[in-house]
Amino acid sequence: MVTFKEQIYAWRSVVFALFLRELQSKFNDKFGLGWAFLEPFAFIFALSYLRGLISGGDIHSIPLFIFMMIGMVGLQSMTTCLQSVSTSVRRNKPLYAFRQVQPISAIISAGFLEFSVKVVVVGLLCLALFVMNETFIVHDPLLLIFLFLMLWVFSISIGLMFAIAAAFVPEVDKIKSMLTRPLMFISCVFFSLQDLPEEFWPYLTWNPLVHFNELARYACFESYGHKGVSLSFIIEVTVGLLFLSLSMYHITWKRVLSR
Amino acid sequence: MEAGVVTMIRLENLTKSYPSKMGPQYIFRNLNFDFPTENNVAILGKNGAGKSTLFRMLAKSEYPDRGRVLTNKSMSWPVALQTGIHPQMTGRENTRFIGRINNVVSLPEYEARVQEFAELGNRFDLPVRTYSSGMRAKLVFACCMNIDFDIYLIDEATSVGDPLFRKKARASLKEKSKDAGVIMVSHELEQIREFCTSAVIIDDGSLTYFEDLEEGIDVYTQDATNKKSLK
Repeated sequence: MVTFKEQIYAWRSVVFALFLRELQSKFNDKFGLGWAFLEPFAFIFALSYLRGLISGGDIHSIPLFIFMMIGMVGLQSMTTCLQSVSTSVRRNKPLYAFRQVQPISAIISAGFLEFSVKVVVVGLLCLALFVMNETFIVHDPLLLIFLFLMLWVFSISIGLMFAIAAAFVPEVDKIKSMLTRPLMFISCVFFSLQDLPEEFWPYLTWNPLVHFNELARYACFESYGHKGVSLSFIIEVTVGLLFLSLSMYHITWKRVLSR
Repeated sequence: MEAGVVTMIRLENLTKSYPSKMGPQYIFRNLNFDFPTENNVAILGKNGAGKSTLFRMLAKSEYPDRGRVLTNKSMSWPVALQTGIHPQMTGRENTRFIGRINNVVSLPEYEARVQEFAELGNRFDLPVRTYSSGMRAKLVFACCMNIDFDIYLIDEATSVGDPLFRKKARASLKEKSKDAGVIMVSHELEQIREFCTSAVIIDDGSLTYFEDLEEGIDVYTQDATNKKSLK
């Protein structure tokens, strides 16, 4: 009889092996692992910096550079995680020949990899802020960390749903890229919800990313305020999506294997 | 299960279909069968009869729509060409991956044994995409043989190796078959004669066991009308 502990242990070793495999196969060119960190860092940094150059100053008491950076980190974490997680099921298809490897292990290792990459990127961005002498005191670090973890769970859940859907209907991938493109413009990345008249808010606040971004700014600068967004919405959506995606997985994973 | 009982793989009410444009294509319907494992078994059948499907379900890399596969034995993964081998990774990295997910006791030891068995020399540290198909087959086979399973599932993987390697593969399978079984899928009768002693024939969704391999091969090679009358 296999005990629960042994099962967890076996599962962990599979996720770990997949994680290493993903690292080895993804970054075995000359740039190596560094590219994984440098690319998003350079992208976020350059975009925020340029935006700061065009019109400097503050947005609702936040320096524009930092304002933009927070929005970009939120958006990027979500879209890259979604992309990587939703393709991971198909990417690892040959490995399901090993019965130890199940699609969920692929999902977890892909999500974990994206997550760790983003942690390092955030670290690099903090370092850049320090070098540029733009430091500030985070008002509510716990809220910020909580938001980051929630965003991660949120992205993986959506990724899992897309991965399952794409296993049955491959066209879903095309719709996915069409859906993620406008996110850049509707997720309060380079503007604040408070810049808009209040009667337009309902058109934007259905989008959890708006809440993530605005609350993250509030967590950094108390004076920014948290008008129109709520933490409970984030929690409700994330928990709801997590359960929905896991139950979808539970009823379909055996059929996903033979696809 | 109690010790002393002859252990088998039991297929219970197995139903398996694949979706298609013309509705589900049934490979097996309510199949009940006790798969013998005490000697080396070959699975024979025409193309599309469901050899590989059965094989993958035995290995649990695929699951039936209904019913189940019961066994108390540890089974290898279906060893076919290239299963689980990533072309961008080196032979060593691939070996370590397989070792990790199968929870081998000591990775370095396993690695060394695979390297020796696969006879790849220092090319073991080159990416697998630079290997020839024979070399890949050797690598996969070596990875499988160096883990202790009760049953080895071999899918035509060994047919590409050179004669010397095949001899070695057969010797190691013989060695293993003292306390382990082999289930093999192949179209090449020569190869099946080399490795197996009994046969299971798949025909039209039903299985028949022949304790004597030659008897099975006879039935298999006869034409369809004869086959029906024999059943």
